[in-house]
Amino acid sequence: MTWFPSKEFFEELRAHVNANPDLFRRLGTVDMTLVVKIDYDDSSDCYEITFSGYRCTGVRQLASVANAAKGAVILSGPYSGWREMIDNIVANGHADLEHTLNTLTLLDTPLHIEADNQLDADLFYRYQQNLQEFFDGAGRSESTAEMSTVH
Amino acid sequence: MPNVSPNVEKALDTLSDVRRGKLDLGWMKSNPEGWGVKATPRDERGLGLEDINRVGRYGDVPDEGSIFGSMAPRGSEIPEDMPSLGCYDINDKSLVWAENAAHLYDEAVARQWSSARDIPWGELQPQRDDLEKAMCQVCTNLAEIEFVAGDMPAKWLHRINHDFHEVKLFLASQIFDEARHMEVFRKRALANGGGLLRSSPDSEQLLRVILEAPNFTTGSALMHILGEGFVLTLFRNGEMFALTPVEKKIFRLCMQDEARHVAYGTMHLKYFLEKHPERESEIHDILRRGEEATFSLNQTQDTVEARAILAGGGLEYIEEGFKKLGYLFKKQIHEYLYRLKMAGIDRTNKLAIPVELPI
Repeated sequence: MTWFPSKEFFEELRAHVNANPDLFRRLGTVDMTLVVKIDYDDSSDCYEITFSGYRCTGVRQLASVANAAKGAVILSGPYSGWREMIDNIVANGHADLEHTLNTLTLLDTPLHIEADNQLDADLFYRYQQNLQEFFDGAGRSESTAEMSTVH
Repeated sequence: MPNVSPNVEKALDTLSDVRRGKLDLGWMKSNPEGWGVKATPRDERGLGLEDINRVGRYGDVPDEGSIFGSMAPRGSEIPEDMPSLGCYDINDKSLVWAENAAHLYDEAVARQWSSARDIPWGELQPQRDDLEKAMCQVCTNLAEIEFVAGDMPAKWLHRINHDFHEVKLFLASQIFDEARHMEVFRKRALANGGGLLRSSPDSEQLLRVILEAPNFTTGSALMHILGEGFVLTLFRNGEMFALTPVEKKIFRLCMQDEARHVAYGTMHLKYFLEKHPERESEIHDILRRGEEATFSLNQTQDTVEARAILAGGGLEYIEEGFKKLGYLFKKQIHEYLYRLKMAGIDRTNKLAIPVELPI
């Protein structure tokens, strides 16, 4: 069972991207660090996901966003928002029209993005399709059936 | 042998000499400083411009472009009798350069997509009349304005010195990006039972500001940072309010391209202002004009009504749509000012337009 959120969950997504090289080769290179921040009432979980070229090159759990690599884009929101997105992806095999990353962040709720400067924040738009494919991996990887959104 | 010009006659003589074994081979001894390099790909992405700029002195970009004003490749040996072609008159690096130009070109080449192949056209679905008309009006407007961002770099491209080839290549990639954008929005309008709706006299007038900018940098500030920054949010808007996976993918892919163009513009303005801080007022002046034009363009009635219908989810929800557009406008302004700060210019207290819409 791969729990969301967990380092193993994001490792599954990473493995899915890297095991399907045509996925990113078709979309193009990505050079960015994304930090997924899941907020609870009194704490947060943070996972740093690194992309370079056609690969997802690393996943690590962070104690806080302060430990993130320079230039990282922080994608954050309450657990309920994340859970709804992942549930939707798992149920449909991919995000439906209402649950894409862009749709969930454009009005800054339920998810929102931030970065040290706008050029870094713009990376979230510049690599949008790759990031969507990365998260859609939750609905496509072999362990999909085993992914759980129970915290 | 027909009568030939002296040039052709000279070429024929040379060829004849070579065929008779009268070889020169002087070119084999040329450019000894540039010989012996071996560029290698950084990783599996292949051999990029950034990689070949790391070998020898081939990545040294002069502050002043070659005085020869020719097409000679940077780093090659240039014979003394090389003629100046006269047309390459943008020779000051600071007028076009951005430190990310090579990276953005490599990325642009790797991220090309096809509006024919990569859009799931088969997933279009019949829509309510108001929604289809709103989508077609938005597409009409985007098909109208998108290629201005191709025309503007094209206007300057042929004047840029070849020593700044990273910039020339990036701008060439942008022109093709914009061609694809014009193409994909036209296709969407014509693919689902609707068609093109009304073009905008206001847009035509307002976008002249970009095309008539007095120099490349002011044109770039207007187009890459202001115009494309605003359009980037429009594309995000379009993705959110897409009717089917078709529009979702169209707007997402266009958004990616647009963000690349914005990244060039931001870093070019940064480079320019670092070299020419005394010209900041010139940038403020053109941005003031551009802000007024872009604001008016964004709020033209045909466009704003169509976008509000899509944002609300139908004509009966247009008020809800206007509220969302109001929020997005604030976001557009915030991101625009934040990009300018990155470039080294603060317009927070100089904006020529409201930071919020009266909605």
